[in-house]
Amino acid sequence: MLKPRNRLRVSPSVRHAKLKVTVLMELDQEILIPPARTERPSTRPVKIIRPPSFSPAILFSGLSELFWYRDLLYTLTLHRVRVRYKQSALGLGWALVQPLAMMMVYTIIFSIFARFPSKGVPYSLFVLCGILPWNFFQTALSSSASGLVSHTSLITKVYFPREILPFSYVMAAFFDFLVACVILVTMMTWYHVGLTINVLYVVPILLVEVAFISGVGLLFSAFQVRFRDIGIAMPLILQLWMFCAPVVYSYSDVPKRFRALYMLDPMAGIVENFRRVIIQGWGADLRLLGISAAAAVIVLPLGYMYFKHREATMADVI
Amino acid sequence: MTALRFESVSKRYRIRSGPRSAESGLMSRLRRSNSHKADFWALQNVSFEVQEGESLGIIGHNGAGKSTVLKLLSNISTPSKGQITINGRISALLEVGSGFHPELTGRENVYLSGSILGMRRAEITSKLDSIIEFAGVRQFIDIPVKRFSSGMFVRLGFSIAAHLDPDILLLDEVLAVGDYAFQEKCKQRIAEMHRQGTTMVFISHDLNAVRSVCQRVLLLQRGEVVAQGQPDDVIRKYTETAAFHQRPQITDERRMAEVTGVVFYDALGNRTNGFKTGEAASVRIDYLVHRPIPQGSISLYFLNSDGGIAAQWTTSLSGRPINMRPGVASVEFSCDELGLQPGVYQIDATIEKSGTAEEYEWQHACASIHVDAGKTRGAFYMPHTWRETSADCAGVLESLAHTE
Repeated sequence: MLKPRNRLRVSPSVRHAKLKVTVLMELDQEILIPPARTERPSTRPVKIIRPPSFSPAILFSGLSELFWYRDLLYTLTLHRVRVRYKQSALGLGWALVQPLAMMMVYTIIFSIFARFPSKGVPYSLFVLCGILPWNFFQTALSSSASGLVSHTSLITKVYFPREILPFSYVMAAFFDFLVACVILVTMMTWYHVGLTINVLYVVPILLVEVAFISGVGLLFSAFQVRFRDIGIAMPLILQLWMFCAPVVYSYSDVPKRFRALYMLDPMAGIVENFRRVIIQGWGADLRLLGISAAAAVIVLPLGYMYFKHREATMADVI
Repeated sequence: MTALRFESVSKRYRIRSGPRSAESGLMSRLRRSNSHKADFWALQNVSFEVQEGESLGIIGHNGAGKSTVLKLLSNISTPSKGQITINGRISALLEVGSGFHPELTGRENVYLSGSILGMRRAEITSKLDSIIEFAGVRQFIDIPVKRFSSGMFVRLGFSIAAHLDPDILLLDEVLAVGDYAFQEKCKQRIAEMHRQGTTMVFISHDLNAVRSVCQRVLLLQRGEVVAQGQPDDVIRKYTETAAFHQRPQITDERRMAEVTGVVFYDALGNRTNGFKTGEAASVRIDYLVHRPIPQGSISLYFLNSDGGIAAQWTTSLSGRPINMRPGVASVEFSCDELGLQPGVYQIDATIEKSGTAEEYEWQHACASIHVDAGKTRGAFYMPHTWRETSADCAGVLESLAHTE
């Protein structure tokens, strides 16, 4: 009997045990006072607030603060996913219905009516492989771009790193993307399309995509705080952009003389490579992927710096 | 140790003139050179320090810059000039229920709102029971908050904020949430935090609360610190400074009379600007008549901090007009039991044509008084009397008969 007691005395959890006792005792009292912290940490965060300036230093201070608030990013993402499907009968099924419907429409139009080539796989599978990464991009970008404006009341009342708002939309869209991938897996099994080792390229491809979306999302959302034009132009931008990416057709269908220009679209490299490594089983087109990665590497830090710079006056302008 | 320090902090707001909606944004920015922009300095060169464990009150009239200080402190906005140093974790009890989503359950919202306010998930989990208990919403915690009553909503919001456990706490008139019992609970919680060494910055119109909570008070006026020090001294200064923010819009030809002085007295006839609810008060209004007004009347308006009329004293009450002849004169109003609730009131004095709305004189903010809590509670004060009476024997016997 003595041993466990002794162990309890030396264990670091003893403080929690004490805390619980106080709570229980206070429960008996008429008014419950929440337990206050028993000891104050000796090292306190020192924060210095100065007029906003535009410098790479923002990058580091911003990132360390973002790390401190990482739980908020998680909670907000969870919240987005939950809220989207609350009080809907189909629930999470909606994440499947949308790409499925798109796939059927495109298959009817571009395969049955227009007879697009689909590189030896059924066109429905071919187009689905384009729809999935594209839908992720489209949902993430349009929701994150309006992510700040739709939280005006929060931004003017509480401080937290604002980039968490657009980021949480990107994460929620990524979750939807993962759910929608269930269709891809099902269809590949149905059509007996096997995977090769090249499927591992999916990881860097998706990393590049998430980074690129986050960067553009930061830029657009910060911009929209001042000019709501972005929100209005968004559907048009996305619609035009979709036809500049190999979603319903293949990169190899693009005439050679246009390719130099065409591959400058970072989404072209992402969508094309996603399809290549999954259903065609080939290695990634590294030149295309490299261009997308370069775009992401430039856009993300720049977008972040611009965002943090604008963040200082966001509450006054929004 | 200094918990927070303002060093010559200024905050500028740009006021864009002209319509901002239709032709706003990019187009007007391109033509920026033509567009006229005015600057408004909400704060100018504000410097102060708060020591660790100290509680500082910030008072001032509406538009003096109190909320701007709070916004800067909580980092919602950044200063245009100067520097703010915050030593420790800071949280603000500004608006409760911030970040609540109506579709989510109470429990989910605790996590959401808690994370927005800067808590870690593990921290929230460990405090969850206490938060729910404090708010008294145990049986409703798993239903969407859109089905909550407004009282439950507010209590849950405050309860989360009350569990933040910061080094520095910002308070902004939040004590006016929930019912009386809950307010008492909140006050206890705040007092307890203060006892444990939490630094506090309290921004309020309720001078009584400021006096009881704060060790030091800062008076802001038009974005500048005009006084700081002992609560009593600063509060006195605040009530004495009449803010002449607006000159009367009465043109000189219509100006047939003017109010030259408004002085308040207590029950003993001493000059004062401080009263308690239920006490006797009187006021003397001196005025100068330029041209004869045969049917004049004089009114005194008590304006609350929102600028609304809380009460009015008027000579028209009796229905007998004053025959005003050129020269100086004065009237005295007196009131046995002041019905005003605790707060600061600005005084407007007017001279008008009796029985009409035609004003000859409207003296804005010619005085201000502060009222502290008296012996009663409630939304308003009712004069009343009482006496001891003999028991109603018949009634008692009857009720006894019924219980048998």
